[in-house]
Amino acid sequence: MLVDLSHFLSVLSTTLFLLTSTLVLVLDCEKKHSSILIKRAFSHAFILLFFSFAIYVYLAATDDFSVVYISQHSNSMLPIFYKVTSIWSAHEGSMFLWILFLSAWGFVFNLNKDSNLKIKNFAIGIVSIIIVGFQLFLLITSNPFETNLPFSPINGADINPVLQDPALAIHPPFLYMGYVGFVIPFAYGLAFLLNGNAGINWEKVVRSWSVSAWIFLTIGICLGSWWAYYELGWGGYWFWDPVENVALMPWLAATAFVHSLSVASKSKSLRIWTLLLSIIVFSLSLFGAFIVRSGIIDSIHSFANDPQRGMYLLIFIGIILFSSLWLFTSRFDLLTSKTKIKSFSKESFISLNNIFFGVLIFATMMGITYPLIYELAYDQKISVGAPFYNAIYAPVAVLASIILIISIESKWGRSFKKIQKFNQLNLSLALSLVAAISLYFYANNGSAIIYMSAFVGFLLLIRYLILLVFNTFQKKHINIPSMLAHMGLGMLILSVSANSIFSSERVFNMYPNDIKTYRNISISFNDLQLINNSNHDSIRAVFKVVDSNGKSSLLYPEKRKYFVRGQITSETAIKVTPLKDIYITIGDQLDNKSWVVNVQLNYFIRYVWLSAIMMALSGLIIVISSYRSKP
Amino acid sequence: MKQILKILVFIVPICIFAFFYTYLSKDNSYPGADYRVFEIPSFALTELYTETELSNEDLSGNFLINVWASWCITCRVEHGFLEKLSNNGVRIIGLNYKDDRIDAVDWLKKYRDPYELIIHDLNGSLALDMGVTGAPETFLISNGKVIAHYRGEVNQMIWEDVFIETIKDSEIIL
Repeated sequence: MLVDLSHFLSVLSTTLFLLTSTLVLVLDCEKKHSSILIKRAFSHAFILLFFSFAIYVYLAATDDFSVVYISQHSNSMLPIFYKVTSIWSAHEGSMFLWILFLSAWGFVFNLNKDSNLKIKNFAIGIVSIIIVGFQLFLLITSNPFETNLPFSPINGADINPVLQDPALAIHPPFLYMGYVGFVIPFAYGLAFLLNGNAGINWEKVVRSWSVSAWIFLTIGICLGSWWAYYELGWGGYWFWDPVENVALMPWLAATAFVHSLSVASKSKSLRIWTLLLSIIVFSLSLFGAFIVRSGIIDSIHSFANDPQRGMYLLIFIGIILFSSLWLFTSRFDLLTSKTKIKSFSKESFISLNNIFFGVLIFATMMGITYPLIYELAYDQKISVGAPFYNAIYAPVAVLASIILIISIESKWGRSFKKIQKFNQLNLSLALSLVAAISLYFYANNGSAIIYMSAFVGFLLLIRYLILLVFNTFQKKHINIPSMLAHMGLGMLILSVSANSIFSSERVFNMYPNDIKTYRNISISFNDLQLINNSNHDSIRAVFKVVDSNGKSSLLYPEKRKYFVRGQITSETAIKVTPLKDIYITIGDQLDNKSWVVNVQLNYFIRYVWLSAIMMALSGLIIVISSYRSKP
Repeated sequence: MKQILKILVFIVPICIFAFFYTYLSKDNSYPGADYRVFEIPSFALTELYTETELSNEDLSGNFLINVWASWCITCRVEHGFLEKLSNNGVRIIGLNYKDDRIDAVDWLKKYRDPYELIIHDLNGSLALDMGVTGAPETFLISNGKVIAHYRGEVNQMIWEDVFIETIKDSEIIL
């Protein structure tokens, strides 16, 4: 049986990972030959795990329904692409993928040469022990290799139709790659502490690893947001869903972390904070896995509820976190630096913004846990929603951006000289003030904080554009990744505020051949079609949408009925224009034969994702250039 | 100073872990459900749309009272399920809780109205008497008596495990 082979390889790789960490404990890690042994043990363990997963993919692709997990989440009618992606559509398989990625990061790191053998081997040992913990979790509490022989079903169940989507197929892998990628800085930071030589610049070593993981996390969150928008029909880009929040927290912490890394590697200050952040980032990533997989929170993302799993994860994460915190506090002196941060230096601004990141993370954590605390204390359920998060995120984002603006002219290690180039700042201030005020008079609704945010968004974009123009003319150095990422931030803030100012929605009851007008857009319900597909039937409505500028287009929202589960889903139809999306979904047919039609105008929503892409791109530039500069 | 910092580093994660540990280890079989039987408190409020006076006499038979508000996000999530119930012939009476009349009517226009009748409880006085602490909450009423109460979103699972069970046990027809 192939599945037994896959199972066996997985168990074997667990023991080999365990062996790797034992080797790190018993061997003299400074010696070259022990280092080779450790390296080989880890690589082989990874290769075994890789083959185990590859066989599992083959099993899913060839419809081996004797495997319980595959029979529950895939069926013979699925397109082959979704047969494979069904592996990570539920808890067991996605945990398997998660572990594969965890060890893949370790594998690539393991192949890399490092000048300090001891630290590298310690880090490999730490990564191995974490992998072992999660593999035991997989094998003991959530075994994907379980079989239902001799009574295996002829056909499987179905993957949840909302998961049959290309964006979803790649959204979890990206997120997982991001989450687990932070194991490298985490393990390396701890290894640095264990080694106990303050002179080593561990921050420089882990910088590109951290930025790479950060890129994956950024793209993963962005893909998730996009998927929820067009596939789930949520009609927006962010919903403060608890599971979105547990992805946002490590992202915020990681963003603070990569900034602190550059401070710590350049000026030897902020070292304590940077190391603590490496622990926080990884713990928050694990915390995300815990929240999703323990069934504590009801959400579209949460997997089957099993308290045993939650308890195992909680205790394991607790062991990782508290042992690393203990190590961190016991080696405190190693990190204390004599260099004081000068006020108005670049470091000082980054430290200040670190505090803001901390505030956001703490507030988000409170938003997630408060309903649970309340439930525990009063036996009642409440929900913490957008108003809470908006009230905290908007002002903090504004303040942090203002500090960012001021810091543009600042220098590493010394206070910046005032006056000199302040005309650039004044110019951008004036321009963005004009922009924000004209926005107010044009739109004439929305609250003050939204316009404050819009102003800051304009300010960031304009400030960097002016910098770009001036520095190109004067042939001065431009920090392209920094500019790109921060313009991305500006674009994000601006598009989020503009979106909330302009967007609107309305529900109509329409008969076929009806024409309705909404905000100067005429919407005519032209036709209804029945379509048969391999695994679902669908009713497709045809709408002709004529925009205020006279351009017309056809939109085809659908209602689908999937055969196997009998689930009914709505497929959105979106007309994308440079400024706005016209977004139509059809709901139920009412007794009087009319259809419920939901029309949304979502302004600037594409720019939200564009800004995430800009940030990811800037990370990519950093990683590539750091590889180039290596000898 | 350093000592304090060292201790501080531990305090927050310890709190978080202790909390999740207690949360996971407690037996939570529907923490929001409550099966105390009590009579609907007497009230004099108005109907949401018509602003006509309503009192206990207007409520008869077996039905649900659903506490909702336009400011309540979970109510939006719950709404689809309520609509399904009402299409299946379940009588649902809305208790609009601490909400502006105009906002509430707009909300219903936007998401449609599954309610047979809506009591507008601006100050939350009836809700207070019934032991409501937030929205959404749902009461199962049989001939003037509350026989089941659920705090939080009612979905298919809660409906079956809390309400259908009670309906079976008390042998009423909804």
